[in-house]
Amino acid sequence: MIESLKFRELTREELTTLNRALDKWGVFEFFKDKAVVIAEGTPKKVCLISADIRHILLKFEPEYAGLVIGELQKGFAPSLQGADVFASKTKSTKYYVTVNENAVQLVLYGRDLMGDSITLASEELDENQLVIILNPRKEAIGVGRTRFAGKSITQKGRITVTTLADAGSYLRDEG
Amino acid sequence: MKTLLPPGSDESRELAKRYGYDQWLVDRFLAYVPEVQEFLAKMERIPTQYIRVNTLKTSPEELQKRLGAKGFVLHPTRLAEVLSVSVSPMSVGATTEYLLGQYYVQDLSSCMAVDALDVKENIQVLDIAAAPGGKTTMIAQKMQNTGSIIALEPSAVRARSMSFNLARCGVSNTCILQHSGEEIGKLGLTFDRVLLDAPCSCEGVIAKDMTRKTSHEPADVEFCSNKQESLIAAAAAAVKPGGVLVYSTCSFAPEENEAVVNSLLQKRTDVSIEPIEFGASGLTEFQGIMFAESMNNTRRLYPHLHDTTGFYIAKLRFD
Repeated sequence: MIESLKFRELTREELTTLNRALDKWGVFEFFKDKAVVIAEGTPKKVCLISADIRHILLKFEPEYAGLVIGELQKGFAPSLQGADVFASKTKSTKYYVTVNENAVQLVLYGRDLMGDSITLASEELDENQLVIILNPRKEAIGVGRTRFAGKSITQKGRITVTTLADAGSYLRDEG
Repeated sequence: MKTLLPPGSDESRELAKRYGYDQWLVDRFLAYVPEVQEFLAKMERIPTQYIRVNTLKTSPEELQKRLGAKGFVLHPTRLAEVLSVSVSPMSVGATTEYLLGQYYVQDLSSCMAVDALDVKENIQVLDIAAAPGGKTTMIAQKMQNTGSIIALEPSAVRARSMSFNLARCGVSNTCILQHSGEEIGKLGLTFDRVLLDAPCSCEGVIAKDMTRKTSHEPADVEFCSNKQESLIAAAAAAVKPGGVLVYSTCSFAPEENEAVVNSLLQKRTDVSIEPIEFGASGLTEFQGIMFAESMNNTRRLYPHLHDTTGFYIAKLRFD
């Protein structure tokens, strides 16, 4: 038996945290008319849902529902599915790093990013910051965390971004 | 319904021996599969592979261009979002595009069942026995993630596997409930569309699983048929007036197909069978048992005639 999830509406505090994060990732406008709920657990998950399944979730406690776009702890961390939605809707580039084609396969195997393989990263990025990893077509292939700030993110010969989640996990985890 | 066993013949004995089937199965194929020799020969060959483009994420043209650049050779099919694969330089389940959810490896026949469901945006859909989620994700893309889909899957393992597929494909309008199809009534909900791709004896997928030539017995067909009759009755009770129920299986057995739909027609007077364009007509008679004339609106898909896995689809409209 897989565990049923308890879904609920966001509290005002959670909504504020989420809205700040959506603004940071450049997708606040896109999410303005979208429905999101919290799936209880540790950590709490933020689920994008269609408006029509809201009442079903609150009534039946399904095993799975909607699209988990991220987790809420102290702040909001995007999931791979969230990264996919954000990357396709954002016009912002600040928290997105783009890698070259050679690095795509490595990321999909869960490998960290060498600075050499990053073709585009904002100089405003700080160390220890969450970033969405994009392939050359600007599609999200992973979520990572910076090990360096600014221009040092593209330095040669060093791992500069730790890969936290990658699209290859769909095969690894399911298998 | 009890499994009907036509008498054996020299022809069925010889074909069963040549292709490695239990004879009772070939006896039956001779009674309901056209051009049996061609059929049995086709089942020995690797079936055509199909991918269904996830239009939530890309377009058929764009995907064809991307996979083409990697050496795949893809061809259009009767359904705009489905492409057949004639050359694949790597496994179709291992490309970046697959991992990004841009397509789903799915047989054309199963996509035809979803096509028959006539899904629109902002409606309520029930998908019974939904895992691994190929049809569910296709319904979701046709609805552009609007409305709602309740996917029932009694197996926890299969429900988990399905959740990965929903996530990969970016589906946000679906929830999975761990229920069997017979429990639909407990939900107290009705739906615009209900898809029942019923558990079956899988005669239609022998080309993918050769063990099925000898692994099941007449009693298994009867067991499936009885289960399917109770499932279709439960599914029908969940359809709103004016709504559609699509019943499908990957079996050729009339006991699992026409007989099941016929059992519903005998119980309900508010249902009619709507035509489906592609495929061979459903049977109106089998071994002296007559089915409703409108059963010829249902469709049988044969590997050797339609280049799909073996499949059966019935589209039922409720007044």
